[in-house]
Amino acid sequence: MNIHKISEELNTFFYPRGIAVIGASSNPKKVGYGVVKGLKEGGMYSRPGLKGFSGNIYPVNPSHPQILGLKCYPSVKDIPGIVDLAVICVPAKVVPVVMKECVEKGVKSVIIISAGFSEAGEEGKRLQEEFLKIAREGGIRIIGPNCLGILYPPNNLNASFGLTLPYSGKVAFISQSGALVDSVIDWALKEKYGFSAVISYGNKADLDVPHFLAWACEDEYTHAICIYLEGVNDGRLLLEVSKEVTPKKPVIALKAGKSSAGSRAVSSHTGSLSGSYNVYLGAFRQAGIIPANSLTHMFNLGKALSSLPPLKGNRIAIVTNGGGCGVLCTDALEEMGMEVPAPQEEMIKRLDATGLMHPAWSRNNPFDIVGDATPERYRVALEEVMKSPLFDGVIVIQTLQTMTDTVKDAEIVVEMFKKYKKPIVTSFMGGELTQEGVKILEENGIPNFNDVYDAATVMHALYIYGKWREKENEG
Amino acid sequence: MKDKVEEILENVQKEGRSWLLENEAEEIFEIYGIQVPGREVATSEKEAARIASTLGYPVALKILSPQVLHKSDVGGVKLGIQNEEELKKAYKEMVEKVGEKIPSFELRGILIQKMAPPGGKEVIIGGIKDPTFGPVVMFGLGGIWVEVFKDVTFRVAPVEEKEARRMIEEIKGKDILFGVRGEESGDIEALVSAISKISHLIADFPQIKEIDANPVFLYSKNLLCVDARIVLGE
Repeated sequence: MNIHKISEELNTFFYPRGIAVIGASSNPKKVGYGVVKGLKEGGMYSRPGLKGFSGNIYPVNPSHPQILGLKCYPSVKDIPGIVDLAVICVPAKVVPVVMKECVEKGVKSVIIISAGFSEAGEEGKRLQEEFLKIAREGGIRIIGPNCLGILYPPNNLNASFGLTLPYSGKVAFISQSGALVDSVIDWALKEKYGFSAVISYGNKADLDVPHFLAWACEDEYTHAICIYLEGVNDGRLLLEVSKEVTPKKPVIALKAGKSSAGSRAVSSHTGSLSGSYNVYLGAFRQAGIIPANSLTHMFNLGKALSSLPPLKGNRIAIVTNGGGCGVLCTDALEEMGMEVPAPQEEMIKRLDATGLMHPAWSRNNPFDIVGDATPERYRVALEEVMKSPLFDGVIVIQTLQTMTDTVKDAEIVVEMFKKYKKPIVTSFMGGELTQEGVKILEENGIPNFNDVYDAATVMHALYIYGKWREKENEG
Repeated sequence: MKDKVEEILENVQKEGRSWLLENEAEEIFEIYGIQVPGREVATSEKEAARIASTLGYPVALKILSPQVLHKSDVGGVKLGIQNEEELKKAYKEMVEKVGEKIPSFELRGILIQKMAPPGGKEVIIGGIKDPTFGPVVMFGLGGIWVEVFKDVTFRVAPVEEKEARRMIEEIKGKDILFGVRGEESGDIEALVSAISKISHLIADFPQIKEIDANPVFLYSKNLLCVDARIVLGE
């Protein structure tokens, strides 16, 4: 598969010159209303700064003159302007007819939100094959059916019945489950977690994970790709495309369904051990896809891998104002096969000579700079570990003491990150009273995790990904 | 190479069988360069004795019958036969015992196989057709390890040596293969090559559904696959 060609083809979904909503409705309880509202205003739920799609939106419904102030057309064929993308939310049995009209109109891309196809028995399967045949002959590509649609914040495009556009970010989220997407978006709004794109692809009648990977690989706003999947149509295509994508952009996948092959009749030992999850896991490793264990794990990795360069080695320095948290972090790193090497003597001497250190500071890695650490103490310790070739990455832990200045600490971390460009992950632990500092960190591309274990986990992933990229680019 | 394998598979299919007798499977392994023990099929006690003395004791006896897929379940496997006297006794007993369990069984012969030398590390290599990924190859620690810990890993087949090496480095019990407490390392290069060969075997033939090389004994020099199973089907 030619990545570039697929990506160009899929661009009509994300940068359409005109969008028709077939099955548009004026009833706020209907999907056809939510889609028009999402396109026009960005979502059913408004918030400051939320914008809708700036191009032409054409609702299609024979029984309405207009919907949400937009002129309504009886059929897609009656639309005067160019329609690149059609979002279909009519009942399943009408979809083949509507698809034919889309072909006649010259539509290139179709999102079918409607359900009642291959997931719903024989008649549904037949309908799916019918519209697919029409689309293939007419040169139309399809997302869905039985999906939520796509959300693309960089173009203010909410072509879905998803609640609202999330904040713009660097992570593309590709999800086989539509229901999951809504809750992830709600969570992401609260966490200020940004997405470059959210794609819910449902029954994958035509386009499947490999196609979206190819598109995301070439999308300029996407820096990391997170996938939730239950299964793909063509495993070998997934492998082939992923092998091209992963040396360029990190791909993280959460595969649902860990139970074994079950009903499959096997008479070999190999067969009894080959539950589909194990085979997926093997293919992920072969393709350089990083497997995630949970949604939180996946989005943590997405956050870190989209904003930081991969690690060149596995040696980590920990700078902390809390001894216990430093030990917890070391335990986690070592458990994952990372190293927390001791500093050089001169480094310790130089830090002692600053006169800023507490007499009881650890003089070792973790650099425990003691609970009363001032921002200046963080600065001198960070200068040492950031410039030293002994460490490939740095974890900065801040526990909240009465004298802790979380904003100044964050500013110093940002300053050091910009100066030395070495990957830093922080664990400014807390909540209410640390959020201002955390905001500064994350706005500057430094991922923060409340739990030091999560900080260690993403460091490990940065290392694994770095190793993969190095090997693959070597050939 | 492929033609010879094709010929064996065709004969099996002509007989309407969905799996290969061990001697057939081992012949295919040999064609693909996967090492199997010295062996020959005997159809009488006398012939068995001649074969065993040529191969050298100790030997293993394995029943060959289209009705017996799981040989040891019906008393169709005897290991560590030390001399001619034991051999003849074992031969007779085996034919009788299997006959009691499966009265209608058709005896194709008894495979006389040279016993593998002791001291090998047990591994398993296999191949299957996965509904999503097509041919895939599996590698893991064998024996009780595979039963209890399921310490195995998969790849989409075929794999070349670089990827096969990654599989070995990936399993949790890899230190057992590389040697612990001053013990000698297993022949990793031989293992890499065997994994790659089995991955090619499963990928080359659409009619092969499952392959088991289990156990494979890994020595400090070379390896030996002492039981081969090939199952046909879609």
